[in-house]
Amino acid sequence: MNRILVAVLVLVLGGYGAARAQTKASDKEWAAIVEAAKKEGKVVVAGSPDPVMRNDVIPKFTARFGIPIEFIAGRSSQIVSRVETERASGIFSIDLYLAGPDTSANELYNGKMIDPLRPLLVMPEVVDGSKWKSGKVWLADPQEQFVVRAFNSIASLLFVNTDHVKTDEMRHIKDLLNPKWRGKISAEDPTTTGAGANMAARLYSQIGEEFVKNLYIEQKVVPTRERRQMSDWLARGTQPICLNCREDDVRPLVKDGFKILEIFELNGIPGTINGSPWMLTLANKAPHPKAAQVFANWILSKEGLETYAKGYGSATLRADIDESYLNPGNLPKKGVKYFDDTDWKWIVGGRHENREKAWKVLKAK
Amino acid sequence: MKAPTDILLPMTGRFRLRPIRVAEFSFLIFLLVVMGLPLLFLLSGSFNLAAPGKPAVYGFGNWVRAFTDSGTLSALWMSFLLSVVRLIPAMILSVLFAWLIARTDMPGGKFIESICWVAYFVPDFPLVLAWILLLDPNFGFLNTIGKNLPFVDGALFNPYSFWGIVWVHTSTGGIWFKVMLLVPVFRRLGATLEEAARVAGANTTTMLWRITLPVLAPMILAVSVLSFIRGLQSFNTELLLGTPAGLYVYSTKIYDFLHREPRAYGEATALGSVFLFVLAILLFFYWKFLSGNKKFTVVTGQGYSTLRVKLGKWRYVAFASCLLYVIVMMLLPLAFLVLGSFMRRYGFFNIAAPFTVNHWYNMLTDPIFLVALKNSLIIASVTAVGGIMLYSGLAYLLVSRRTKFAPLLESLCWIPHVLPGILLSLSVLWLFLATPLRFFLYGTVWGIAFALILADSPVTTQAFKAGLLQLGGDLEESARVSGAGWLYTYRRILLPLLAPIAAAVGLMNFGSALTSISTPVLLYSHESRPLAILLLEYSFTGELERAAALGLLITLIIGTMMLIGRKFGLKLSGND
Repeated sequence: MNRILVAVLVLVLGGYGAARAQTKASDKEWAAIVEAAKKEGKVVVAGSPDPVMRNDVIPKFTARFGIPIEFIAGRSSQIVSRVETERASGIFSIDLYLAGPDTSANELYNGKMIDPLRPLLVMPEVVDGSKWKSGKVWLADPQEQFVVRAFNSIASLLFVNTDHVKTDEMRHIKDLLNPKWRGKISAEDPTTTGAGANMAARLYSQIGEEFVKNLYIEQKVVPTRERRQMSDWLARGTQPICLNCREDDVRPLVKDGFKILEIFELNGIPGTINGSPWMLTLANKAPHPKAAQVFANWILSKEGLETYAKGYGSATLRADIDESYLNPGNLPKKGVKYFDDTDWKWIVGGRHENREKAWKVLKAK
Repeated sequence: MKAPTDILLPMTGRFRLRPIRVAEFSFLIFLLVVMGLPLLFLLSGSFNLAAPGKPAVYGFGNWVRAFTDSGTLSALWMSFLLSVVRLIPAMILSVLFAWLIARTDMPGGKFIESICWVAYFVPDFPLVLAWILLLDPNFGFLNTIGKNLPFVDGALFNPYSFWGIVWVHTSTGGIWFKVMLLVPVFRRLGATLEEAARVAGANTTTMLWRITLPVLAPMILAVSVLSFIRGLQSFNTELLLGTPAGLYVYSTKIYDFLHREPRAYGEATALGSVFLFVLAILLFFYWKFLSGNKKFTVVTGQGYSTLRVKLGKWRYVAFASCLLYVIVMMLLPLAFLVLGSFMRRYGFFNIAAPFTVNHWYNMLTDPIFLVALKNSLIIASVTAVGGIMLYSGLAYLLVSRRTKFAPLLESLCWIPHVLPGILLSLSVLWLFLATPLRFFLYGTVWGIAFALILADSPVTTQAFKAGLLQLGGDLEESARVSGAGWLYTYRRILLPLLAPIAAAVGLMNFGSALTSISTPVLLYSHESRPLAILLLEYSFTGELERAAALGLLITLIIGTMMLIGRKFGLKLSGND
């Protein structure tokens, strides 16, 4: 009985602690924050070049709060180099990062370039645990303070052009090794960092070295560094199987009547979830802290996240967003165990280790 | 004869501060600070083994890792092979084109020259895609036609191959850049020497081989060195056509290190140092060739005739051959590119309603577009004018042969040509942030223009240098004897003679500033974002059609500026 009492007390106090950490702001407090943000004049956000950000998110946020967004777009490696050089000279120009999981964990977090974001999350609909599928805002870093994960979709495993590949020809992951598909599979170049190498690392980890060798070398997978080339090949049937095509590239092709099927799961390999396209972090010494706070809360709100997710085509972690716009295959099913490609330990260690092993195999050919 | 511009310099008293020394030291300090220092910063960074943000630990690890990475040496060999194979025919064709345009009575020379100018600035990425549409073994337009021929079995062309890359390069980079730089110096070649050769019984070929080419050697060699190194650094075409065929070039390896996570700039710099080594060797031979008693003066005060070589009936054959080359290598893929910008999906003719004006409409109504256009025009104008002012002075100093530090000055101004663009951008960023320059240059259009002026130093300086080497010292001597001051002589004698070259490099720098992505990528801010960054964003996010439309718009702007600039340049030179 005492143990039950203690357990109840722990739960209650734990809940209280969590509630304290993510304090709700009253309307008045929120209005004061917005007012202070407006006085700061702008918010500077850094991230990948992104049409959704440019065309949807920025106009909507600016219309809502009257705060302009300066969006510094570039490759993660370029942005991080720039920020590091700026900081060495005492310049702090960025407020928030919308960076990929790798950059967020391995560069921004490990490089101590970010501050705790959790205390800044005060918007009622953001801190309300019931609005999140995970029961609360998912902070992915070990301290649960710095890196917010807002998305959780089932990742595509591959795309096929069904004019050339019948659905029953692609049931098991080892069907990819059918000699019929030799030279008919395209992938983002797995020998350099990116989606191609990440998939090779995952296949190496989950199925093994022999499979990686047989797939990429024996099956003569056609590599490219240009994502548009892959989706064009897929549509034309030149390479009717695509390992790393992107859903937002393929969507217009499907609309145009090309018979393209997105495959999320195959026998022989667990389904994969990920937190793409970005994770949210707060730059340390952010020059516009209140504006950063307003943007961080808004982008995690229903309106903000829905705006982004609809444009991009990813499933969010919010429970109150109508997900009918999504391919049902994108939505993780309850009770199913998935391989999490954005798991912190995998990003900071496992992926790198397996990528190196896969590279050893691929570069030895 | 005296060294060409010896007498162009104002004479000063023995104990007075000599302007040439002041200029020399000013340039030396400027170049050491803006080019030498960032290079040192990069090189020292390449020995830093610590993870980003951690205290520095020095060693050779990055260099060892870079050069022992599998495929590095084979990629270097492939780059060398591609560069040489491309360079030789391209140089022969370029010299021939320039000679036909500037020194003969071939009709339509100005038209062919204009096409070369426009062609150089057509964005290469969508142009390569246009070649894929033409040559792909499975769906390429030309292969589809070829397969219908009775004697053809299978695909005639394959762009995903060594020769495919060479072919496409001939179209995208090819001869255009070389012709642009060579025509002004060919045009300035006085006919006196050629007439003398003809009187001595030389035919056109002998004259070209024994007279024209030797006196134009400084520019031809400079263009060859520039093109060879540019060839080694070439990247976009190889990325699209080489990767599917497993052909990797050296720049791909550098690119991989630059974009690796975590970043590996140390390894990238180590690999980039090979370009410095190659440049040092080439410059050694270049200087050796130009030293001694060789004379390249073609414009003197003793009569100047620009009469052109008469080709007779061959003039029409020459024009038809040039036109054919231009049609096949540029207009054909360009037509596909224009078409692509009006297609819902580039190259897909079999979808419902394949054509649209949406990409143009969306681009022109993008709120960022007008700001970016304004920024780009400011940046490009400042770059063009600034480059001319700065490097004409430097070239003037270099050819005077009275500077003690000429090899050092010249080596410094070659540095931007051997640094991968992103590393140059990083070093300029470092320069801005480590000095008071940051208060008025960082994040501004002026800062981007400054970086682009630095990036333009090799081409601009070499072009002016070659032009100045053509001028005889007696020109200014006569002016001075007639009582003209240095400034008056510069304005009335030198400037008109240099105007075509100034117009050529000014326009070239204007165009490069509009299209350069890697130099401004670390330096722009929201307010100073240029069009090229917008182009990068479109390409990065797969908005290829909008990128094609923007690329064409940039080409159109450059084309318009070219017409104005050429008119201005020719007017100043009195050749209008």
